[in-house]
Amino acid sequence: MPEVQADSEGAVSTLNLKQSCGQLMTDLLQALGSGILVGLVYSLLGLCIVIVYKASEAFNFAVGEFMVTGSFLFYIFFFDLQFPFLIALPLGLAAAAAAGAVIETLTIRPLIGRSPIAMTIITLGLAFFIRACLQLIFGSHSYSFFLELPDISIDAGELLFLSDPLWAGIMALLTFFIVMFFLFRTKWGLAIRATSENQAKAMAFGINAKMILLVVWAASSACIAVAGIMISNFGALSTMSSIVGLRAIPVVLIGGMDSIGGALAGGIIVGICESLVGTYIEPLGFTGFKEVAPYILLLIVVLIRPYGLFGTVRIERV
Amino acid sequence: MNRKLLVGLSLILSIAFLALTPVSAKDIKVLSQFPMSGPVGALPEFGWGYIDGMNWVNGEGGGVNGKKITWFLEDFRYDPTVEVANFNKYCAELSRDEFILATGYITGGLKPLADKVNKEEKIPWLDGSYSTEIFGAEGGPSKYPYYYSLGATYGDQLKILMKWIKDNHKAKGKPKVGMVYSPTAWGKDGLPESLAYARKIGLEVVAQIEYPYSATDATNECMQLRKAKAQYVIYHGYSGASGCTAIFFKTAKKVIKNVQLMGTHYTTNRMSILVCQEAYDGYIGVATRPFLDAVPRAKTSMENPIVKLAHEFARKYRPEEYKRGVKDKDSIKDMFLYLEGLTYAFMIQKVLTDADNSGNLSREGVKKALDNLVWDYKGMFGGKKFSYKSHTIPMMQIFKADVKMVKMGETMVPTGAVNPITDWINSDEIKW
Amino acid sequence: MLAVENLRVVYHDVISVLNGISISLEKGELLVIIGANGAGKTTLLRTVAGMIDFYDGEIIEGDITLDGLSIKGVDTVGIMKHHGLTYVMEDRPVFWYLTIDENLRAAAFSGRGRNVKADMEKAYQYFPPLRGLAKKKAGYASGGEQQMLAIAMALMTQPGILLLDEPSLGLAPLITEGLFAIIKRLNESGISVMLVEQNASAALEIGSRGYVMELGRIVLEGKASELAANKDVREFYLGSGEKARRSYRDAKRYKRRKRWL
Repeated sequence: MPEVQADSEGAVSTLNLKQSCGQLMTDLLQALGSGILVGLVYSLLGLCIVIVYKASEAFNFAVGEFMVTGSFLFYIFFFDLQFPFLIALPLGLAAAAAAGAVIETLTIRPLIGRSPIAMTIITLGLAFFIRACLQLIFGSHSYSFFLELPDISIDAGELLFLSDPLWAGIMALLTFFIVMFFLFRTKWGLAIRATSENQAKAMAFGINAKMILLVVWAASSACIAVAGIMISNFGALSTMSSIVGLRAIPVVLIGGMDSIGGALAGGIIVGICESLVGTYIEPLGFTGFKEVAPYILLLIVVLIRPYGLFGTVRIERV
Repeated sequence: MNRKLLVGLSLILSIAFLALTPVSAKDIKVLSQFPMSGPVGALPEFGWGYIDGMNWVNGEGGGVNGKKITWFLEDFRYDPTVEVANFNKYCAELSRDEFILATGYITGGLKPLADKVNKEEKIPWLDGSYSTEIFGAEGGPSKYPYYYSLGATYGDQLKILMKWIKDNHKAKGKPKVGMVYSPTAWGKDGLPESLAYARKIGLEVVAQIEYPYSATDATNECMQLRKAKAQYVIYHGYSGASGCTAIFFKTAKKVIKNVQLMGTHYTTNRMSILVCQEAYDGYIGVATRPFLDAVPRAKTSMENPIVKLAHEFARKYRPEEYKRGVKDKDSIKDMFLYLEGLTYAFMIQKVLTDADNSGNLSREGVKKALDNLVWDYKGMFGGKKFSYKSHTIPMMQIFKADVKMVKMGETMVPTGAVNPITDWINSDEIKW
Repeated sequence: MLAVENLRVVYHDVISVLNGISISLEKGELLVIIGANGAGKTTLLRTVAGMIDFYDGEIIEGDITLDGLSIKGVDTVGIMKHHGLTYVMEDRPVFWYLTIDENLRAAAFSGRGRNVKADMEKAYQYFPPLRGLAKKKAGYASGGEQQMLAIAMALMTQPGILLLDEPSLGLAPLITEGLFAIIKRLNESGISVMLVEQNASAALEIGSRGYVMELGRIVLEGKASELAANKDVREFYLGSGEKARRSYRDAKRYKRRKRWL
């Protein structure tokens, strides 16, 4: 590494120093940029967990499997049936939403009014069940997944951002804001927020909590599919991709389980954390530390702020 | 008096009879295990190849000088514990005289079985593992006298790639090599040996990067290689079919455009073409088997006799599976897997016949037959013969990928093959 | 118009809460139901409002009819939407993390009111203090304001029948008084009200008729004024018995109940 060399040589000319400073800056920018781009996708995954958590108080552990399911549904429309991207995407997302709705009806609805723990455990079971189904249907080999989106790579010498992560960041952010708009600017969003707070109260005021839960699961499933499609586009799609879903756990716990802004921040924090560790700490010999770093960060955050960085501090009236 | 005589006579007769029967009715029993399901997914092709091969051996193939082989096939689900348990079960059930050859497929099973196979049972064991730890300099015949690998070690594979770089480097200065490997026993296998070799022949290893299977992004890794100014990247310890491989190749194609991507056996195959598509074009890799499955399959070169044989077998015995596409269930996705099953069957027949010819159809006899084996493996290595003195099949060939995207209907699909750019190389003949 | 006939409700398949209860609510009436803790008042309202499933309860006997039509088994939203019956749960059922404005809008979700803006204006007219708090999160409003909001939200659903579950809970007497005055006004505007209360004196003051509930049964029924004058009611619910009880044994309710039945 150039900066280490500069240090060890001691007497370095000003020119050299300037160069290594510039190098340091570009390194940092590169790491931060890549971190934010991937982080945005994690944010989207986090958001999907948060809205489900807010609506049903269940933590969706099957997020990785939902992701792969959605990606495969899109795969069918885009690669198998060869619809144009702009038709295949809505169709794929609609199919993903339908899948989410079906899963909700079969597994979550019977548990409405019961302990949220029961639902959370159900999602754990769901994760295994869906994974097995996917393996049965699609096998476990990789499917090539090239969306061929317009090339928007930024290549400025030492600084490089590839087209695919850029697209992923853009799409994730876009989806994030569509969800935000839906939640905070529409009648349905208001009903969802009301139901999220208390199902019984919502029902008493004529909001069909069951319907709302269905909508939330469907919407979350569709958004997870967006994240899945963007992640698959980095390389390939296989049932093993579901492991990426686990990254959403530190995201929501760092950001706060019930905070939408927290999901955005949490995702970016986890993305940057991974990227910085990958650039600066792993080359020192701590290989694989990248995978663990978000969890260490999580531990620190939770110790200081148990509700997460942006988790709601409960309104306590005395 | 008469009665005593009668009892004595019958006793003698029965003992003689007991002693004689096993000899006259002695069976040849062989156990084979493949990872046909489990975390890596369904790979039934191993079993299909093996079953078709063994049925052929016992039928048209003429058995072992006319004697039929009783074979057992187990799926150990990619789990070493299951592999070990299966072996123990068969050891307990079958007699030592009859159960004279066993096969396995992963390094994970070789380690816990080392003492059982090599010291207690002393049964020849053929394996699909290319582990340098077991078959390389530190292990080998002296340490594991009954283990035989059906390929060349990863150490040898990496070294032959480095040798190729050395021999073909055209630019000025020392060739700069970056190593990318998986953080697994597989990824690290053969690494120290090959790095030492690289230093010896004057390659500069500028980066060593562990790149995990669960990666979603390879930009960091590729930027490191770019900064280190690597000219060659050796990618080792991954399956061509896994997502992370596609991510790496795709990113590398953009970030480090002029770098020669290289890799070991399991990245040099058909699945890489299908999964990495255009990004795989120009890749140079080593393999221990001939490339036998172009995309599309009809374009496969049938020059190599065993490639032709494998395709004939598959067409004849598995017509449906052969025809089906990669995405369908129960299809032969990669002929390599099917050929693996077949090669085991052929090897089993070959060494058992050799042992029988020397009049010693026992575990020791089979071991001797393996140690003395000099064979062209039904023409697998372009007619070249190999010997089993290193307990590995030391044959390797270097290939280059040629992938093109063609329009099929509305979408672009990859076509291409991995073509040999060297002759078959026998690592026993190289002075490392 | 609303009739509950011989209703029996069991929670979690074992806990019997309503043991054959029959009540009726006439149109335009302000019915008061009083009873001690655990008498089953809240369960009665939940059952009528169709929310009993949600709490894992089950109607094992009896029927609920609205204008002669059985509404047993219809869910809360259906009862509210098609029968105009709105249930205001106990303990100020407002959405704490939504603003007061949003709370009112959320309550209009079912679409019974055609014109949300006009309905909101009407609600603010009934409860003027809420207007100033429109942008404030409901969780930070005072108890009285929250209870007003809860009833205002119920108004957004254009109810024909209003079930109110202990609106006075935890409120200062003065605020309770104001609230009950508004309830009375609502009733006069044509909404039938079923008011469940522990604060029996205040409730009986505004009510037209009343029931006394104990251990899942109706033990007493009559005009509000009659009940307020009843000796036992006075002793147990109005806290103004003629003389101090002599011993705890005398206070055991089942003895008294025998006489009532």
